[in-house]
Order: sequence, then structure tokens, then C-alpha cells
Amino acid sequence: MPSLPPIPRLTDEARPTVLIIDDSVDVHRLLKAHLKSEELEFISAFDGLEGLMAAQQHIPSLIVLDLDMPSMDGLSVLRRLKECEKTQQVPVIVLSGQQNPSDKVATFDAGAIDYVTKPFEMTELRVRVRSALRMQQLVQMLAQRAQIDGLTGLWNRTFFDRRWSEEHARCTRHGHPVSIALLDLDHFKLVNDTYGHPAGDMVLQTVAKILQRESRHSDLACRYGGEEFVLLMPDTGTQEATALCERVRSSVEFARWARLPNLRVTVSIGIAGCSGVCPASSELWVEEADRNLYSAKRSGRNRIVCADLSTGPTWMSRTQQG
Amino acid sequence: MHTQKSAHLQSQLADDPEMAELLDLFLSELPKRVDTVTNALRERELQTLRRVAHQMKGSCAGYGFPTIGAAAGSVERTVEQGAPLEQIKGQVDELVDLCQRALNTRKSAA
Repeated sequence: MPSLPPIPRLTDEARPTVLIIDDSVDVHRLLKAHLKSEELEFISAFDGLEGLMAAQQHIPSLIVLDLDMPSMDGLSVLRRLKECEKTQQVPVIVLSGQQNPSDKVATFDAGAIDYVTKPFEMTELRVRVRSALRMQQLVQMLAQRAQIDGLTGLWNRTFFDRRWSEEHARCTRHGHPVSIALLDLDHFKLVNDTYGHPAGDMVLQTVAKILQRESRHSDLACRYGGEEFVLLMPDTGTQEATALCERVRSSVEFARWARLPNLRVTVSIGIAGCSGVCPASSELWVEEADRNLYSAKRSGRNRIVCADLSTGPTWMSRTQQG
Repeated sequence: MHTQKSAHLQSQLADDPEMAELLDLFLSELPKRVDTVTNALRERELQTLRRVAHQMKGSCAGYGFPTIGAAAGSVERTVEQGAPLEQIKGQVDELVDLCQRALNTRKSAA
């Protein structure tokens, strides 16, 4: 069985960033001094508003937040961090000068992962920071795993849906071109029925590899379900998208399969793209790609049908088989 | 341990080479804080007094001066309780005295 393609990387492996939000300059100095050996990057904010802005801008790995600050108190900052989609996953350790149990309850209720009272024991704080970062890494890893298709190692449909709606919004806003392609293996049931499911799995894995090989770094290759794949191509007009998909189509057609010399696999592809401003919703876009995929199937399979949503007419590409 | 009577107050972290630079910075800024505290008391700016005391409470132990931190905590508490000025002054005097001892220690070491 071919080995899995590498797991796409969601986060880079840079040093974790810790945002310190505290109005006392001493706390910043002490924290940085005592966490020096932990290989961290620090960002300092000296009041709540500055902290919120820094959190939005940098999306740190961890926030250390003082509860008792003038103007905006720590609890309000914490609530806002947890309300905002961008920052709600960032773990927050709360520092407080109060031993008040009701403060603790309010803080944990608002979503803090830890509560440390000042004056703090530095060794203790260090291990708490370490543990929070480790937990965060595990959570991120799990979240990433939940977005990856186990068989092919491509991103899964859930991840595509999310990224597509983001990418659609971005491209629509800026009037950038963007294209998506739906790919469906032709007569895949026959492959399974004739050669067995392990052979079918191998085919899916190999097609996934071809997709990854032919797509560019900025593209997003996903397994959409069953024998269906989807390719998201940001900043790519229909012509470029068609050329890329043609490489995929012919690679699949001319692939030869170890131990199955008679096996031939082909793929039909429907593209919905846009070279400029386009008012179609992200759902409509997928429907259009699906419609084109259906046209490709109906008109003989092993071909590409592409529609440019900014101009309208649907056209069919040449295929190697004609 | 230093008793309340001693003229000197040394940081518990004085022997920690990693802390040397920070400790130095803390002590060099301490006179300014003492001024802020005494001015705030004289001008009866109790919110400023509470604020600075609160910060000192949180950080002084981090520099190895838990007694200063505790004294600052007492100042904060008496202000919050709305204690009579005379009582607040008593706590501030104690705090300032401890700071002075820490500064004396530094001078004699230098």
C-alpha cells in the first residue's frame, strides 16, 4: 500500500508567543526573567485595551492576564477575548492579587484555564505556563487531526467548507480571481467490485498524491467524500484552473497500478471559477462546480467542464480522448 | 531572617545571579516609588496610593522582598477599608521604612 502523503501543516513550528497583559512593569520583567529558559517570544501590553489589540494582531500561544487593572479590568478583557472568534482558543492564565474564591469562579467561568495569585512563586508559575502551552499544543493537534481525512491524508470536507467560506469572502471583497474544482473518479464502484476494497483505497490514495503533486502551495486539496475530491485554488482564474486540472486528469488517466496491470482509472472534473468580481454565494459556487461535474459525467466522463461565474457561458475542455 | 529592628533588608534572591540585573533595576526605581507613595499620602490621592501599593504587593515578593510586599498589602487594605488617614499613614510609614532599609543594604553592599 502506498504510504500516506504528508499531513498538511496548519501551524508553523515557531517559538510559542506569550502575551503578558499587566499594568505593572515589574510583572513583565519578572515573568520574562523567569521564563527565559523556556524558548518563548514575549509581547507586552500594559492595559486591557492594548492587550486586546495585541491579542487580535498576534494570536499568541498563551496569554498571561492580570485581573486588577485600571480602566478595563482583567475579567472584561477575558470575556472579550473569549467572545472573539480569533482569540477564543488562546489559553489564558489569570494573575490576581486577590485570594477571593468568587473571583476564581468568575474567572474560570469566563474561560480562563488557570488562576495564579500574586505574589506568585516563580517556579510554580513557570510549570503552569509550561503545562498550559503543552495542553494548547495537544488541543491544536487534535483540532488538526479532526480536519484531516484518515485514508488519504488530505484535508477533509469540514475543513474545506470552512476555508472555502473564508477564501470566498476574501476574494469577493478584494475582487480577486478564485476557482474551485470538484473531482469524481469514474466508475469507482467497478474498481471496488472488480479488484476489492484494498485496491479501491490504493486508488484513492494515489489520486490524492497526484492532486497534491499537481496543485500549488497556495491550493487546498481535500477529500470531499467517497471518491470525490475538491480543489480550492485561490487567486486563480478559470484558464489557469483548467490547465492545472487537465494535468491532474491526464496524470490519473495515464497512471499505471502496481500488481493491477489492467486497471485504468479516469476522473471527471467540474470547475467553477471567476476571473474578477463575482456576486455568487459560496454555496452557489459549489453547486455550479457540481453541475459542471455532472455535465462532464453525462458527456462521456474523463473530461473537464468549466464555468466562469463572472462571464456566464459554460464551456467544455478538450480531453485527450476527444 | 531580618528582624523589624534591623537597619538592613536584603533580598532573598540576592545570591541568584539570574536575578542580579532585575534586582538592581528594581532597587534603582524604588526611591521613585517611595516618593509616589509619600506624595500620594500627602496630597490625599488615595486611589493613586492604593494603585501603587497594589502593584508593590504583587511584585515585591517576586524580587525577594516579601515583607515589603506584605506591608504594601496592608496599605492597600487600609485604604480600601476607608480607614482613618492616621491609620493609613502608620502603614505607609512602615512600608517606606522597609524600602529604606532595602536601599540602605544596597548602598552598603556597593
